[in-house]
Amino acid sequence: MNNPATKVILIGNPNVGKSALFNQLTKRYVSVSNYPGTTVSISRGEFKTEGRLYEVMDTPGLYSLLPMTEDERVARRVLLEHPNAVIVHVVDAKNLDRMLALTFQLKEAAYQHLILVLNMMDEAHRDGFKIDCQKLELALACPVIETISISGQGISNLKEKIYEITSVH
Amino acid sequence: MRSQASIDYLEPNIQDVIQEIGQSLRATYTISKHAIALLFLQKDEDIEMLLQKNEAGFYPKFCEMRERISQQYDGNLNQAIALSRQKKINNVVSETVHSKTISARTVTKFLDQFLMHPVLGYGCLAVVLYYCIYQFVGVFAAGTLVDLIETSIFEERINPWVTSWVTTIVPWQVVTDLFVGEYGVITLGIRYAAALVLPIVGAFFLMFSVIEDTGYLPRLSYLLDRIFKKIGLNGRAVIPMILGLGCDTMATMVTRVLETKREKIIATLLLALAIPCSAQLGLILALLSTNAKAMVLWGSVVSLEFLVIGLLAASILPGTKPHFYMEMPPLRLPKLSNVLSKTTARMKWYFLEVFPLFIFASVLIWAGILTGVFQWIVRAIEPLMGVLGLPSQMAIVMLFGFFRRDYGAAGLFDLQSQHLLTGNQLAIAAITLTLFLPCIAQFLIMKKERGLSMTLVMCTFVFGMAFGTGVVLNQLLTLFGVQL
Repeated sequence: MNNPATKVILIGNPNVGKSALFNQLTKRYVSVSNYPGTTVSISRGEFKTEGRLYEVMDTPGLYSLLPMTEDERVARRVLLEHPNAVIVHVVDAKNLDRMLALTFQLKEAAYQHLILVLNMMDEAHRDGFKIDCQKLELALACPVIETISISGQGISNLKEKIYEITSVH
Repeated sequence: MRSQASIDYLEPNIQDVIQEIGQSLRATYTISKHAIALLFLQKDEDIEMLLQKNEAGFYPKFCEMRERISQQYDGNLNQAIALSRQKKINNVVSETVHSKTISARTVTKFLDQFLMHPVLGYGCLAVVLYYCIYQFVGVFAAGTLVDLIETSIFEERINPWVTSWVTTIVPWQVVTDLFVGEYGVITLGIRYAAALVLPIVGAFFLMFSVIEDTGYLPRLSYLLDRIFKKIGLNGRAVIPMILGLGCDTMATMVTRVLETKREKIIATLLLALAIPCSAQLGLILALLSTNAKAMVLWGSVVSLEFLVIGLLAASILPGTKPHFYMEMPPLRLPKLSNVLSKTTARMKWYFLEVFPLFIFASVLIWAGILTGVFQWIVRAIEPLMGVLGLPSQMAIVMLFGFFRRDYGAAGLFDLQSQHLLTGNQLAIAAITLTLFLPCIAQFLIMKKERGLSMTLVMCTFVFGMAFGTGVVLNQLLTLFGVQL
């Protein structure tokens, strides 16, 4: 292949739905549980959008850019090794205050292609949260996408956004 | 050159240090120099190593700078950084997120009070075990389903039909034995896999997937954290332990989530010894569901062993008790499609591994009988069975158990259904098989995660414990004249 696939790395706290999102994006299957710590190694898959090929990597949960355990170190190593990848930071929309620290760290690390995914929007709505995405995009200076990874809602928006930020230049 | 993102939320003096270190960095890095400097200030080991290598000349100066700024925050530099960041985050969140506190979650909050209550929690656990495992797996799958498949499909239809068919077309007894003999590929290998293991393990996987997706397992971790602390593990170690009930091999890999080497060793050992995997657990529970006293004895001995060995390992191995913090995901109604796809994936993976092995074992036994090796090994194990107080037929089952514990358990199930075992024998056999290492795959993963020498030590210990426990138990039961 003369044009290698662009890498997309899913990163985020444990149990925010990275694996479910991975399954939705790639139509592959990795085990998904309502249990933090199910993923301990990297899974890889692919998807195509607008004729362009992307390689997706699902990583073990990472609380912050400062790793504490071996599985967190695995996730961090993937980040350090792929400075030009699209970093999809997946968060639980109900707990933004605990999750945005990693977004800030990723911004500080100067990843060019960072997308914040607010996952579990169904639960967030049910619990009475309303999130102003446009304001959040401005405050964080990075695109924000809302998803419900278990049902697949918002996945096509995410794909479009990934395509959009990797084709401007 | 990567653009520098804003770190203006940090205290000005910390910002200055980051600027200074960042500008002094000579090498190129995959992430911004600010981020490298910030991670260095937070004593990130990987980054320290990287800088030692790349910036050897400046490294001592960097350490000095870090020391100086750290003193200004009483040594709690990491906390200071996290606090300023959180303050900034709280600002962002308060501007963008609006939450009306609605009481939508009162039901799950109410349930949580019970599930995680230090006393009532165990009651809930008992209810879950009784209905989900005992009733569904033990009574329904192992009783009703197995009866249906085993008796009305295999014994009444497939076995006689295949036997007569094979014996008519193949005149040689040696060959017919391979397929339809006492240990034949079809009459034993495939029958074990399809009639015993499939319904029982399938039911267990299904139930485990449902329980997993409700979010009950982290609550169980929280509940058990207290006990685990006593044996030198924290609630985080409950994760691999409970996943071990699904598959010990995968769980041994999940010990990676533990922070210290000490915890990993203790967890790996306990997984090898006292945590039965789903295939074993399903079959053994199904086996013991006919004898409540034997089941209680089995449960008590295995949990006692778990606690005692954990306690001993924790006191022998040096190290400090780790702190524990775990995300508590909400209770959710499991989604049928996720439960089904997970169960299918697990069953597919399990059968791909187990099916060829069952058939391979049948072939191996057939070859062993032909050459006389099988009879010789069985005779060699028979005295051991005597010490355990088990009948000589058990020697064959134990041999099966060496291939895989679930294969042994299936053999035990077969003996039990022919009423060849007393209650005592049933309990002892089940306990010994539970304590064995489940399968070759687990051995291989142990080797990968912990190294060969430690794995060999652990396995020798596990085999010794398994047989030792069986022998001691047999002596005790005989001594006190207990009949289960």
